[in-house]
Amino acid sequence: MNSIRRQLLLWLLTGLALAVAAAGARIYTQTLDEANELFDYHLRQMAASLPNDSFGPLPPSSTSEFEAEEGLVVQIWDRNGLELYFSRPASKLPQRAELGFSTVKTPHGNWRVYSALEQNNVVQVAQAMSVRQDLAAGMALRALVPLLALLPVLAIFIWLTIGRGLQPLDRIAKALGRRTPDSLDALPQDQLPLEIRPLVQALNELLARLARALESQKAFVADAAHELRTPLTAVQLQIQLAERAQTGDERAAAFANLKQGQARAAHLVQQLLTLARQEPSVAAQPHTPIDLAELARLVVSEFAPLAADRNIDLGLSHTAPARIAGDFEALRVMLGNLVDNAIRYTPAGGRVDVALRLQDKHAIVEVSDTGAGIPEADRARVFDRFYRREATQASGSGLGLAIVRNIADRHRASIRLEDRAPGPGLRVSLTFALG
Amino acid sequence: MRLLLVEDDAMIGESVRTGLQQDGFAVDWVQDGRAAELALQTNSYDTLLLDLGLPRKAGLEVLGALRRRGDAIPVLILTARDAVADRVKGLDAGADDYLVKPFDLEELAARVRALLRRKSGRADPMVQVGGLVINPATHEVSLAGKPVALSAREFALMHALAARPGVVYSRAQLEEKLYGWGQEVESNTVEVYVHSLRRKLGAHFIQNVRGVGYMVPKQT
Repeated sequence: MNSIRRQLLLWLLTGLALAVAAAGARIYTQTLDEANELFDYHLRQMAASLPNDSFGPLPPSSTSEFEAEEGLVVQIWDRNGLELYFSRPASKLPQRAELGFSTVKTPHGNWRVYSALEQNNVVQVAQAMSVRQDLAAGMALRALVPLLALLPVLAIFIWLTIGRGLQPLDRIAKALGRRTPDSLDALPQDQLPLEIRPLVQALNELLARLARALESQKAFVADAAHELRTPLTAVQLQIQLAERAQTGDERAAAFANLKQGQARAAHLVQQLLTLARQEPSVAAQPHTPIDLAELARLVVSEFAPLAADRNIDLGLSHTAPARIAGDFEALRVMLGNLVDNAIRYTPAGGRVDVALRLQDKHAIVEVSDTGAGIPEADRARVFDRFYRREATQASGSGLGLAIVRNIADRHRASIRLEDRAPGPGLRVSLTFALG
Repeated sequence: MRLLLVEDDAMIGESVRTGLQQDGFAVDWVQDGRAAELALQTNSYDTLLLDLGLPRKAGLEVLGALRRRGDAIPVLILTARDAVADRVKGLDAGADDYLVKPFDLEELAARVRALLRRKSGRADPMVQVGGLVINPATHEVSLAGKPVALSAREFALMHALAARPGVVYSRAQLEEKLYGWGQEVESNTVEVYVHSLRRKLGAHFIQNVRGVGYMVPKQT
């Protein structure tokens, strides 16, 4: 498992152990160097101080304490190679005529040998290297033991300190865990360590965004429930009138009304669903390359039957090659809503034009009609959900333009409402950035 | 009985008007607050059915202005706002009753009848004059225990006169109670209905006050 505490502890202890080992190695080599220097001097002194006149075999016991202490071996022979003296006959050194210091390999390990010519005799004083190494190792070990003994104490100390440092995280986790879906207020930020503060700040920003999204969803659901009452009331009343009908004609008229009421309720539900799907907070469809001219042709042909039914001349008046990246279904709904609105609010015999133009790296889609237009004062509010202008006979859901704006926002397109020239009438332009 | 319906939604307005007409009420229907005020100032209504979310002038404003003028017409609010706070606000603004959408046509008619009953100071839902008993809810009329069949217009006329015995109504006032806007008023229509009512119920029930109009005399 990935744990900051364990990783920190592991790396800190590894680093410490390496530092201790390096210090040990350094103490060892330094001590060894010094011991070499000292003992070499000692060997030379010893060779010089040996009596050089009459050598006779000495009993080995006389040098035993000398040996035991410093592991020294002395041997002397004359220039003819005749052995005169061995301090330790058991471990004979090779007979070598090399004068001065040398290191000799023997079955008992390496030996340091000093040979000197004293009158006619060769005096060799030798010492096992292991003595010096043991000395250096002993020194190093004595220095390291306290440090090594301290390592577990350090480990516990590090463990506790890291734990203390991470405590705020634990507190935040607990505070978040206790929350209900409704409590989206910010987490307290003061007294937090520098390292954790950015995390809590980011969390708080997310919470604030969530709270806003939730608030708008709640408002939307409340609005939607309220708006659904109107068509449902109409349908309920129409059903009762159908039940009351006495004659076949009355019944037929009542059912025709009922059908209209039902269609209107269904339309409202459909628009609500579309709007909910186009909410910016909902995961959007991936954008694909779209031919706007093709889209305009598709929407115009889709609405041609409705326009013909209402005796309105619907057509594509101007087109240009324009490609943008977008969500095709959403754009079709958007342009469809604009054309649908134009047809609804244009009196019979009127005209609705869809046009596509290019201008300074922008593609402009225009829908213009010969209806009554929208007064300047109302133009900002018509994009609000459920806003219906007074005295409009057409029974829309009040959601069409809210949907248009959501989709336009998602495609970073700007919307403009203006008077059609020549008037009267309304022109809606959507401007998309190209490339 | 003549009602003013103020409702901006075309489908609901149309249905309520049709339904209440079938129940024997004369209904005028307007779709915004200003038109409602104009209608209230130019005609006399027995009850006002008021939606709250109206274009041009909000329902509560219309109601407030009405009560400030001292108009005591019974007001029934029809609205989709169902929160308790909204109901309290509506009733405190001077409404007599509050009905939340979606509502039932039968219930609406019953509440209108209740308002009319209270307005005329009666507790008994049956209108009784002499041996004549009129049930406004079922449109059943009986004379000395025997049922009498009346047409919708005959019933409306008899009901209007019997509801307030001793009050003289002019021919124009009675016509107003029988017809909403846009309904063709035939000439002599009131006389025709009075004639047939007298034939069915007996001559003494409806008296002619010469040069003024008609009334049902108070029974002593």
